[in-house]
Amino acid sequence: MQPALTIPASEQETIRPRKRLPFSFILVGMAILGAVIYLVYANTQANAVYYMTVPELKHCTTCATQAVRVAGFVQNGSIERDDKNQSVSFVITDSMQTLPVTYSGVVPDIFRPGVQVVVEGHYTGTGPFQAQTLLAKCPSKFQSATAGAKK
Amino acid sequence: MYFSDLGVIALILALGFALYTVVASVLGAVRSAPQLVQSAKRSLLAVTFFLLLASAALVLSFLTHDFGVGYVAQHSSRAMPWYFTTAAFYGGQEGSLLYWALMLSIFSAIFVFTSKRAPAALVPYVMATLMATEAFFVIVLTSVSNPFARSPIIPADGAGLNPLLMDPGMLVHPPMLLMGYMSFALPYAFAVAAMITGNLSSEWLRSIRRWTLAAWTIQTTGLILGAWWAYHVLGWGGYWGWDPVENAALLPWLTATAFLHSTMVQERRGMLKVWNLFLIIASFALSIFGTFEVRSGVISSVHSFAYSDIGEYYLVFLVIVIVFSSALFLWRLPQLRPEQEFDSVISREGVFLLNNLLLIGMTFATLWGTLFPLISAFVRGQTMTVGPPFYNQVVSPLIAVLIVAMGVGPLLAWRRTSRSALWRNLSVPAILAALCAVVLPIFGVIDIAANIGFSVCAFSAGAILYELWRGARVRHSHGEPYLVALYMLFNRYRQRYGGYLVHLGLVLLIVGVIGSHYFQQQRDAVLKPGQDTNIAGYRLTYLGNIDTKESDKETITAQLQVWSNGQLQSYIYPGRITYHNYGDQPASLIPINTFGFTDLYVVLTDWNGAAQATIRIFVNPLVSLVWYGGVLMLIGGVICWWPERRRTLAAARSAAKPDVAVGAGIADGGVVV
Repeated sequence: MQPALTIPASEQETIRPRKRLPFSFILVGMAILGAVIYLVYANTQANAVYYMTVPELKHCTTCATQAVRVAGFVQNGSIERDDKNQSVSFVITDSMQTLPVTYSGVVPDIFRPGVQVVVEGHYTGTGPFQAQTLLAKCPSKFQSATAGAKK
Repeated sequence: MYFSDLGVIALILALGFALYTVVASVLGAVRSAPQLVQSAKRSLLAVTFFLLLASAALVLSFLTHDFGVGYVAQHSSRAMPWYFTTAAFYGGQEGSLLYWALMLSIFSAIFVFTSKRAPAALVPYVMATLMATEAFFVIVLTSVSNPFARSPIIPADGAGLNPLLMDPGMLVHPPMLLMGYMSFALPYAFAVAAMITGNLSSEWLRSIRRWTLAAWTIQTTGLILGAWWAYHVLGWGGYWGWDPVENAALLPWLTATAFLHSTMVQERRGMLKVWNLFLIIASFALSIFGTFEVRSGVISSVHSFAYSDIGEYYLVFLVIVIVFSSALFLWRLPQLRPEQEFDSVISREGVFLLNNLLLIGMTFATLWGTLFPLISAFVRGQTMTVGPPFYNQVVSPLIAVLIVAMGVGPLLAWRRTSRSALWRNLSVPAILAALCAVVLPIFGVIDIAANIGFSVCAFSAGAILYELWRGARVRHSHGEPYLVALYMLFNRYRQRYGGYLVHLGLVLLIVGVIGSHYFQQQRDAVLKPGQDTNIAGYRLTYLGNIDTKESDKETITAQLQVWSNGQLQSYIYPGRITYHNYGDQPASLIPINTFGFTDLYVVLTDWNGAAQATIRIFVNPLVSLVWYGGVLMLIGGVICWWPERRRTLAAARSAAKPDVAVGAGIADGGVVV
């Protein structure tokens, strides 16, 4: 146990010429900076998914090979539940275009016709969209549903 | 006359006084006219008074069910209990803005009352900055987002509050988080004042540090409460989803945390002045950005807030803040010379710098992920998003290094530390971490990332506890019992030991996060009466459904027994509540049974008549530690912030250099090198 070094006041007051940062600092700083940039870059590459609307998906040529997120509204009367497989199929619409979706798993509380949902999964171009995740837009934290329309 | 008319009048008066405060305080400072500054102080208190009046008017409008006020009609109903009716005050956009403005004025008033402690030259500029910000909010409140706007048709009953908000969490989480966002205005005001006057004295540093600590503590509380609320209400078994709205709240917290550390380097060694100013400006800009992002709808989030033109106002305000601060910053830059140079990486300031780089790295990564839809739309012409895996994979390694730095940092001396001293201080925690890494696989932790995470936490916790013990032992050798010694340490070195508590809390929190992230188990089951399902040693036996109808809501619950170790532990009732005026938004009732640190979390996902239920069960190990850790961080923050007694303060001021004051305390365990 020794005291933290005490710097005499006289030494502090003299203005010394600016010295370069010690090399060790630059080295460590660069290492951290490089690591952050690498992590961000690599994980962006690995995790980015397309986020598109239904019409955009219909025109997408590369979507068969990678995961896509699609947003749309659940069409009235389109929900069919299959209790045995715990799967549900429905149709989402956006800008007058429709997309059939199948999803198995637990559906969110507020999932029902008319609700805006985001599905993530694969689309081969034919057949329904295979959703791995189904998110329903959470009702607003600070705004009630009825007021949500337009103030 | 309605209460709402009173509210509008109060808002307009508040705006007038706020603008007057800005003018009077700036003029008072420029012409060095103390009476003008005094007048500005009184006028600021008038702003506080009128905002209190406006808020009272809104609360009274709610409590008297004045549905002629559109805002009241949309956010409350006659059936709601009084406390939710009152809380609905900040349940919508207009009210939450009023709440923001009110809190800002209250904090400004606190500043005025304590302004004797702050350097006198800075006070007028701090007031001017605060009231300019206040004026912005009141302008928005009186124009585009007026909570008192009346509608011609008066409905018989209101729409009621969103069911997800009818929860005790609603009473505490939004006000805390909004207050947290708001409170970054105070350090910012101090930064602006310092840049204008060029006064970056140690007194300035003390003031700005205390206000930042307050902001940090409030924001920490808001974040933890938000996580707790999400966990108890939303029913997806987790507490943090890296949603843009959550990220927005985290960003200023990260930069404020960085500031609280780097400011110590400025305090002790007169370095990093420019950097610290940058961090404060960034914190405030990020808190405004967060509010803007949440309100404007530029980034799609699962929280769909009401999107309105108000986003544009925020954008304009954000641009003004950034341009104004950058201009001041560049103007002042030539005079912000560091007083000393860096010597060695293996020193206290070296670790602080490392900590800052890591925190800024996390801020950048989080901001990048949040803005990625915009960036990709701009660069590639195609909107892309990144999900939670992105954040987890980027942030986890950075957190791991940060935790190591957290353990090492306090053990290092300023300027440089010899290798032998380093080893003497670090050997015990290092051995503890190694032991932890070896032992964990025996207890089933075979995931390498989780093992590294736990070991790193063991290292840091070991280093902190070892440090506490050594401090207590030194005092004990002078004749104090251990408990008294520990108390004295906390009492005499609040910042240092409060900081240790915060660190310890963060370690606990991270342990909880690792536990619940890597070892969460999940099971879905469709059950008929008498059937059971097993998960992680717990057995749940389903008995049937109960349907309760009340005047404003219908509740369906499934009754289950929880068995563990062959014994009946409890009955649980996961369920759904459907409010009649929100028929499309049922809220979940989620029973959470805690066994040790492990939570058994049961959600009723579907049902069929009285005799079939679909349930989803989560077993979340160690999740309790997240809350304990959060509480510890909060306590630590308060201890750091707690005002020193005047006597101690006077002593510290009379001492020429803080180094001397701290140096004198070595004998009782204050500084351990």
